[in-house]
Amino acid sequence: MTKPPSAAHPARTAPRQLPDPDGDAPAIRFRHAAKSFGAVRAVAGLDLDVRRGETVALLGRNGAGKSTTIALLLGLDEPDAGSVRLFGRTPAEAVRAGRVGAMLQEGRPVARITVRELVAFAARTYPAPLPVAEALDLAGLTDLAGRRVDRLSGGQAQRVRFAVALAGNPELIVLDEPTAALDVESRRAFWRSMRAYARRGNTVLFSTHYLEEADAHADRILVLDRGRTVADGTGEQLRRTAARGSMVCVDLAGRPSGGLAALPGVDAVEVRGDRARLRTRDPDATVTALAALGAVRGIEVTPPSLDDVFLALTGATAPTPSASAPGENAR
Amino acid sequence: MITAYVRLEVRRTLRDVSFVVFGIGMPVLMYLLFTNLGGVDPEWRTASMVAMAAYGALGAALSTGTGVAEDKGSGWLRQLRVTPMTPRQVVTGRALTGSVIVLPAIAAVLAAGACVNGVRMDAWQWAAVALVLWLGALPFTLLGIGNGYRLTAQSTGMVNVGWSLALSILGGLWFPVEAFPGWLRSLSGLTPTRRFAELGQSLAAGAAPGAAAAAVVGVWALLFASYAVLSYRRSARTV
Repeated sequence: MTKPPSAAHPARTAPRQLPDPDGDAPAIRFRHAAKSFGAVRAVAGLDLDVRRGETVALLGRNGAGKSTTIALLLGLDEPDAGSVRLFGRTPAEAVRAGRVGAMLQEGRPVARITVRELVAFAARTYPAPLPVAEALDLAGLTDLAGRRVDRLSGGQAQRVRFAVALAGNPELIVLDEPTAALDVESRRAFWRSMRAYARRGNTVLFSTHYLEEADAHADRILVLDRGRTVADGTGEQLRRTAARGSMVCVDLAGRPSGGLAALPGVDAVEVRGDRARLRTRDPDATVTALAALGAVRGIEVTPPSLDDVFLALTGATAPTPSASAPGENAR
Repeated sequence: MITAYVRLEVRRTLRDVSFVVFGIGMPVLMYLLFTNLGGVDPEWRTASMVAMAAYGALGAALSTGTGVAEDKGSGWLRQLRVTPMTPRQVVTGRALTGSVIVLPAIAAVLAAGACVNGVRMDAWQWAAVALVLWLGALPFTLLGIGNGYRLTAQSTGMVNVGWSLALSILGGLWFPVEAFPGWLRSLSGLTPTRRFAELGQSLAAGAAPGAAAAAVVGVWALLFASYAVLSYRRSARTV
């Protein structure tokens, strides 16, 4: 197996050139995969394809099946039914061949070992690893290399786990809620590292319950709910799918508000003082109809927020999953 | 790959202050104490040296299992499952680690015997005693690993300490079996520790190790190995 010469600069955009015995098999393929724990169907017949080089977010509330999906993906669990393939092989084979790296959710740092020792060891278990210095650099750990892993802050320890995941230079990297419990600064640094790794032509799958993160850092978002994908697309596509959540606001200018509810697309009308707020599933039609009535003063169309989209897709009620989302990527 | 893993784990163990103090310092201290209080018996100095080295090896071997339980609890074993290392390689690496970390305790007690207590043996005897102690510690490493895969970190620590105490006292590693009442002495003859020490003690006395001792150690080795394999099979897929 030949790998591209290790780039001193992670900003390369060329996809990795790998002669691949498995041809064009997608990086990840789930076919009707199901997994139950007792009476709970954690993953309920999941179909999923991730192309090589894609960065995909697995988005869902707690308990939506994200972690089980990831456990199946990594071969930590076997599906009860259906199949999971990575690069056309079973997860165990792909992991064994060193094509997969993972950052698992739970875990305390390994005791009594330095960052460099740990990353170097992880690299050694893979057939064609990154140079240790490069792995440390990608994860932003160069200055901490000599420190003991069990004496780092939460954000630093998270970076160590990321470095362990990428040390072997795997083609697919799987991150289970990588930024849970990180502060804004650490999050930003983490995503920078993740994107640098993705830009090398690698496939990245991460799970999150922060919508803004999924939208900002993934090419594609898979919304998971009750063990199934309920939506699949870019943040923009998801917003359009659930566009019935759009809001059209307009000044009434003394006009009566009766009849507004009968306009095309309108699902609900709310009047506050002289201003009407129309919830519409077809904002274009609604605006056109308002224009025909001459009611366009102060007209304003608000696309649904990602939170609205998420709620519409999952049929969830409060609390909003992204209520505690970091502000950095908020739109 | 296994070498790298063994190196990592040995490093982690030797950096554990409590392992160094209790795993290496304790047997040496107890040896010097038990052989210098109340008169000097050169024969007991030699026999006790072997017994205490065996005790040190026993403690270190079992502590390998405590390490396994900790790594299971911290998620490190799970992380290893998503590297190209197979669970089998991990458990083999652990057993090899156990074989390495029993060495300091054995060496320290033998050194205390030679340097402080003036134990004199032929060079081949020193080598043979050390070799037997080293190889004979493997069953206890397997026992520790069995406990480690089966139990939580806390209970593994307790259970291993319990095993260590029971096997040391019953096996006459601390006090000579000659001081035991008859029935206890017969029981002692069935313990792996008694026979493990006996193998080394016959060599130290210049005699060939007895077949009975080797047979008892062998049977226990098989038992502990099966226990380790069963525990490992039961939990390796779920860590």
